[in-house]
Formats: sequence, structure tokens, C-alpha cells
Amino acid sequence: MSDITQLFFDAAALGGIYAMAALGIALIFGVMNLVNFAHGEYIAFCVFALILPSTDAMSVMFLGRAPAIVLIPVILGLGALIAVASEMLVFRHMRNASPVAMMVGSFALGFVIQNTLLALYGGRPKAISLWPDLNMPVELAGASVPVLQLIVILTTLVVVTGLALLLRKTRIGLEMRAAAENFRMARLLGVRANVVITGAFALSGALAAAVALIMATQTGVADVRMGGQIMLVAFIATVIGGLGSLPGAVAAGFLIGAASVVLQAYLPLDARPFRDAFLYTLVIVSLLVRPQGLFVPKSARPRI
Amino acid sequence: MSKLGVFDLSVRYGKVPALNEVSLSIEEGERVFIAGPNGAGKSSLLGAISGAVATSQGRIEMDGDILTGQPPEAIARLGLSMVPEGREIFGALTVQENLRVGTGLRRDRHAVQTDMDEIYSAFPILGERRHAPAGALSGGQQQMLAIGRALMTNPKLMMVDEPSLGLAPKVVDQVYDKLIALQEERGLTLLIVEQSSVRAARVGGRLILMRGGAIVGGGDAADFGDQAALTEAYFGKSGAAEDAEAKA
Amino acid sequence: MMNRHTEARLLSYATPVILSAILLGLVLLATFFGDKALARMAAETLIRVVLVVGLWIFVGNSGIISFGHAGYMAIGAYCSAWLTLKPQMKSLFLPDLPLWLANAEWPMFPAAIVSGLLAALVALLSGAAILRLSGIAASIATFAFLAIVNTVYSNWEGVTGATSSVVGLERYVDQWTALGWAVAAVFAASLYANSASGLALRATREDEVAARASGIHIYRHRLLSLVVSGFFTGIAGVLLGHSIGVLNPDNFYLGITFISLAMLVVGGIGSLSGAVTGVLVLSILIELLVRGEQGVSVGAAEFALPSGTQEIVIGLVMIAVLILRPGGLTAGREFAPRSLAFLRNPKTKPKTAPN
Repeated sequence: MSDITQLFFDAAALGGIYAMAALGIALIFGVMNLVNFAHGEYIAFCVFALILPSTDAMSVMFLGRAPAIVLIPVILGLGALIAVASEMLVFRHMRNASPVAMMVGSFALGFVIQNTLLALYGGRPKAISLWPDLNMPVELAGASVPVLQLIVILTTLVVVTGLALLLRKTRIGLEMRAAAENFRMARLLGVRANVVITGAFALSGALAAAVALIMATQTGVADVRMGGQIMLVAFIATVIGGLGSLPGAVAAGFLIGAASVVLQAYLPLDARPFRDAFLYTLVIVSLLVRPQGLFVPKSARPRI
Repeated sequence: MSKLGVFDLSVRYGKVPALNEVSLSIEEGERVFIAGPNGAGKSSLLGAISGAVATSQGRIEMDGDILTGQPPEAIARLGLSMVPEGREIFGALTVQENLRVGTGLRRDRHAVQTDMDEIYSAFPILGERRHAPAGALSGGQQQMLAIGRALMTNPKLMMVDEPSLGLAPKVVDQVYDKLIALQEERGLTLLIVEQSSVRAARVGGRLILMRGGAIVGGGDAADFGDQAALTEAYFGKSGAAEDAEAKA
Repeated sequence: MMNRHTEARLLSYATPVILSAILLGLVLLATFFGDKALARMAAETLIRVVLVVGLWIFVGNSGIISFGHAGYMAIGAYCSAWLTLKPQMKSLFLPDLPLWLANAEWPMFPAAIVSGLLAALVALLSGAAILRLSGIAASIATFAFLAIVNTVYSNWEGVTGATSSVVGLERYVDQWTALGWAVAAVFAASLYANSASGLALRATREDEVAARASGIHIYRHRLLSLVVSGFFTGIAGVLLGHSIGVLNPDNFYLGITFISLAMLVVGGIGSLSGAVTGVLVLSILIELLVRGEQGVSVGAAEFALPSGTQEIVIGLVMIAVLILRPGGLTAGREFAPRSLAFLRNPKTKPKTAPN
């Protein structure tokens, strides 16, 4: 029984991280049909912003020294900033380009960000300790659950609810939803393209920052390559969720988290190192069964 | 000063010319129909005026403001609104949300609610279904929603592209009745693309005939109510085959 | 008098001939006027030509970006290692190989062919699944494929050596071997692009809906192009392995995916000449950056420029090209005479694109 409970919390926490990363990607795709391969590097950037630039193996806290009440908004803001900056410097100049060209551009941008981090911080993973107390376990329903897992689950719920409210109840949310469906028409009705796109990037970047804070606390490692893996999972979640569908992205994020935890728990010991290979194979199989995604957006228009 | 002035306007898609040095002028409160076959350049003209289509030459002015080169959202903010061909309502948004999309540009926030109530009373079906997703409306209802949505921006000039497209004749009658009533009530200037000059003649107003990316004639719409007058105005002699040369 | 059809056909052969001549010229220059380092650089560049032309066969014709080709490369490279490494080495480092593989000691060329075919087979199987998806979803699935290959090869200790490198591959690939394969890849790419399948596929790249309506079987043509593409990409993996002598799964992951896509984009995805141009231009840039890094040393530090500079510069070049010249340097044109008129009238010189 407690095993199952444990598994549930593991799956929910991992799924929550994936869901937030997937939301960040789906948001941008919905608004401007951009598959943003730089998203993972936004996450890595925010993690490295916690520590001082140096190529030493030991890290010295920089922003990470600030108290949480300061640190959280600053990192979220920083995530929003790099996302908005990348839009202004790169994607704004590709507005008339095909989605494929934009995707390739974002891939290049991701590489530039990653290698800038590499140049500043060196290639070796660094140990960082951000809020180590949060990894202390608490007893809950017969399972020992790290406090952080509870926080991740709670944060995901708050973020998802907050985003839903923002999209449903605010002016910018309405404009984003309209633009996601038909950008040209929205502009004909006076919706400012730059405001909507900048807003979407800012939100997406802030989501990346939230993922960064959680990952930094959970793994205790800053690695230049950390963005790549989470981004791949997040992409897959957005495709499974139906490209452009936000609820789909969240659901698929949790689904992949769950699948990943279950595979880890029940695969034979010899096969465990290959967990990700099984996971991605499952994903390709699921896409073959439902190429339009498991959760098709309401508008159900072909987007690609 | 005229409401809308178009001077020597040309549009091309790559190498294909769609509009060739078109000039026209519309007065405040006027109702102008643009008729012509497929590929005549009607939609390109509307697209260019609304800012959705890039122009290659010429100038467009509204109330003395130069529209050419401005993005669509800036033009909308100057008081131009568009009911596009195929309606293009936001299917995943509710009826009410559709109406609210275009109110972001308005300064007179207090009048927004009044306007919305007015649109609900003009189109009661929209009021009844205000919380339903717009994608669930019928074609005629969507056309009314598209008109209501354009009106919610509180425009000075409204352009309507093929309002009768894909609708049953009876529904088209209703749409036009509402459109005319709203125009008279609000003193709107209307520019309507309408394939059927018979329809234009029945509604009344000024008619501009286009073909092959240029204006080829026009006058009081009532004079173009029968096929003979239309044929003469268009072709003089012959030449229907050239009609499809430009992409709409 | 030639009719236009024959002329068009002959013109389509002109491109691979011109490209091969350029590559041959480079090898001759490097061999006879350069030092050993330059010859090595020529070999490296030509291996990249095989890779990027291989990639182009799929991406250039189908219009679908693939992030998975480094996976086919890995499959080719490791297969050749299995077939050609000395049995003593294999029993030591790759103990879990099946007996017939463990004892295999193939000559290099047949091993390369079989490795290419294995990559082509995997391309067929993976493509059969991935290519059912449309455009961008397919691209993301190719990324998942790459991750699958990387995960498997990084963990299959007894068969691939996992993350500890496989060493001892015979380094038989010099600039001439690489040139041979590069020319073969260029001709194969040109033949495919001008075949019925290639032409049909490029029609779908322009307008998928219209092509579908005209009854073109997109899926089948995409799959065929991926199989041909997979073969040459696998060969590029073989060549890389036998050029540096060491295999590591991370050599076939995001880094090479990025470089090969950058070359394709900078040169121009729309044409075979673009693929080759991109390789040449970026290879020169990479060489300059590498030499710059080594040439300038500050104090006791060995490298003046921190690692990563290369990728940053290439990434920025790639972004600049995407923004300023979306068609790439060649803008989709081929190196080819405009017509064969010069054969009839010796005064007219053939013009080559691009300007």
C-alpha cells in the first residue's frame, strides 16, 4: 500500500515538472506556431543564474543566497526576461518565416545559450545547494515523501490554476486565446501582436524559471546539459497533448511522469538503464495510434 | 475630405499582380458595394486597406491618417473594422468572448457594455447563446456574430467581405436587414464586397465594379439590377476568359 | 538539335559533376600544397559532406527537419566497429556480442556497405512509424528517436561499451577514401532528387494538399528518401569512426546534429549545392575558430577562447542566415549551367549560381 502511495507522489511530482515545462512550450506554440527548442536552455540559464560564473567544480551561490521571498520573484523575472529577449532578438525577425524555419532558429538559439553557459561555467556538473531542507522526508499515508515533492505538486496545481484563470479572466488572456486561434483576425480587431507575443514569452519564461528552481532543489546539480532532457520530454508532452492544447500539455506531462515512474519501478533491473528508450518508444507508439495527439484541442483545426 | 481615400494602389503576390493602380474615394456615411468576378482583386483591396495585405505602390488614407504601411492592429485602432470573408469567428471562444476581443482598443470603456447589450438586442440569438462556444453557431449566426464583433470595436468605417457567402438566401436577407439598420442607427460608413450586383441593387447604395485588379465602372447600384446592364458595364464587347488572371 | 527534355536531363547531371570537381580540387590543393593537418581537415570536411548530403536527401526533398540522423550515424559507426575490430579486442571490451559478430574480422569496404545497409534498415523501420506523422510532429518524433538510440548505445555495456569509448578502430579513412564516398553521396543524392520519387516528394514540399489531391503517395516517397538518406548517414558514421579511431555515443548526439543542421541551413536546404556549400563554408569557419583558439594563449591558460565559442559563433551565423537570407547562401539554386547552349555556341560562357 505504502509502495503505491510512494509511487503516486513520485509520479505526481515528476509529472508536475513535465507539465509545467510542457505548458511553457505549448503556450508559445499556440500563439505563434513556434516549436521553441530554446525552452530547455531557459531552464538551464535560470539554474546557473543562482551561482557565480566560474569553471570550478564547487559552486558559489550568487542569486541563490537571497532569501526565498526575494529569490523566487527574481528568478521568475529572469526567466521571463531571457524568453522575451530571445523573442525580440531572434523570433521577432522571423515572423514571416515558416514554422520549420522558426523551429530550426530556436534550435540554434538553444545551442548559443547552452554554449554561452558552457563558456562561462565550464562543462562539469556542479553541486549546488538550494533549500536543502526541502528534501527532508515527511511521513504521509504510510509513505515517506520529501517535502519538496509536496511543494512541486502544490506548485503545479497553483501554476495550472493561475494560468487557466489568467487565460479565462484577463484581457491579455482573452487576446492570447484569440490570437492562438486566428492571429490575423485578432490583429484586425486591434489586438496588438507584439503585446500578445511578448506576454506569451514572458509567461513561458517564468514557467521555465519555476521548473529551474524545482530541479535545482531536487537534484542539487547545475549541469549545462540539464535543459535538453527535460525539454525533450516536454516537447513530447505537447505533441501527445495535441500541439497547441494547454490542457492537453498538462495532462500529457502528468501521463509521461507517471509512465516514467512506473517503468522505473517495474522494469526488470537489467532493463532500467534503458527506461528512457522504453518511454520514448511508448510515445512514438501512442502517436502512431493517435497522430493528432491524445487530447485534441477544442478548435480541432489542423495546425501543422 | 472624404472618409476613405485610395490613391493609385497596387498589390502583388510575388510576381502576380492582384491590384493595379486602383483609386477610389468614399464619403462619410456612404454605403459602397464592390462587385466583380473571382480574382477581380476585391479581397486584395479590402486586405490592403485593413493592413493584412502588403501594398507595393500607392497610398490609403482614412480621415486624413495614412494607413499604408501600418500594421492591422494600428489601423483597427484608427477606427476601421472588418468582417472577413468566411467570417473567421474564434470557434473555441464563447460568443461573448468573441465580442470582447475587439474592445481592447477602446478608450470609452463604459460604453462597451451598452454596445454589447445593443448587439444582443439586435441579434437576440447571440444573447441567448452568449456563453456557448462560437464554433457551435450556425453559419448565419456566425455571420451575425462576425458583424457584431466588428461593431464592438466602435468603428467609423466597416468593411464586410462577401456576407452572403455560403448562406441561404433567406438568411442573407436577414443579414442585410440588420446591417442596414445598424448603419442607419450609427451613421456608419460601409464598404461591402458582394458578388451579386442584383443584391446590391436591391439593398441600394453606390456600386463599384472590378475586374482583373482594376476598377472598370460603377454608379448607382440600382442601375445594375439586371444582367444586361452589368454585362455592358463589364465587358463592353467580350472577354470573360481573362477574369481569373489574378489571385484573390 | 537537342530537345528541351534531353537538355533538362543533361543539366541535372551537371550539378553533381561540378560539385565533385570542386571537392576533388579541394583534396588536390590540400594534398599537394598543404601539410598533414590540412589533409586531415580535408578528410574531416569530406566526411561532413557525406553526412550533410545524406541528411539533405531526406530533409531537402521532404521538407521535414530531422533531428534523428545522428542516430543512423551511430548505428553505422558501431556496426562497422563490430565487424572489423580484432576479436581479442572485442572479447575484452564488448564481451556480450553474439559469437559470430565477436569472431567477425571483415575487410573494411564490405563492412562499410553492410553498416550503411543496417542504418538504412533502421531508417526504414523508424521511418515507417515516424513518417506517419505530419511535419513538425514528425520532427519532434525524430528527436525522440535520437534519444532512444543514444540511451541504448550509452547503456548497452557489453555490446557498445556504453559511455566508455570503443577504441582501436582501424584509421583507414584518409582524404581520398572520404572523397570517394562524398562523390558517391553527391551523385546518389542528385539521382534521387531527379528520380520520379524525388520530384514527387519535392512537389509535396511545396504544397502538401495539392500533391495529395493529385494522388502522390507522400508517405511512400518520404520513406524511400529516408532509407537512401539513412544509408549515406550510416556511411558517414563509419567514416567518422575509422577516421578518429574512437567511438563514443555522445559523438553521435546533439553536437553533430546541430553542426549538420547548421551546415544545411547556412548553405540552403533547397538544393544539393546548398548542402555542399554549407559544409565547405562552415568547415572553414570551424577551422579558423579552432586555430584561433590554439593560436592565442593568455598567460598559463592553454586555450584563449573558452570551449563553446565555436558553437556560439556557428549558432549566431545560423540565426543570421535564417533571418537575413532564409533560403541559405545558395537560395535553393544548384550549381549548374543555365542551359547547354554553350555547347552549341562556344562564345557563351556557362553561368553558375549563386552570385
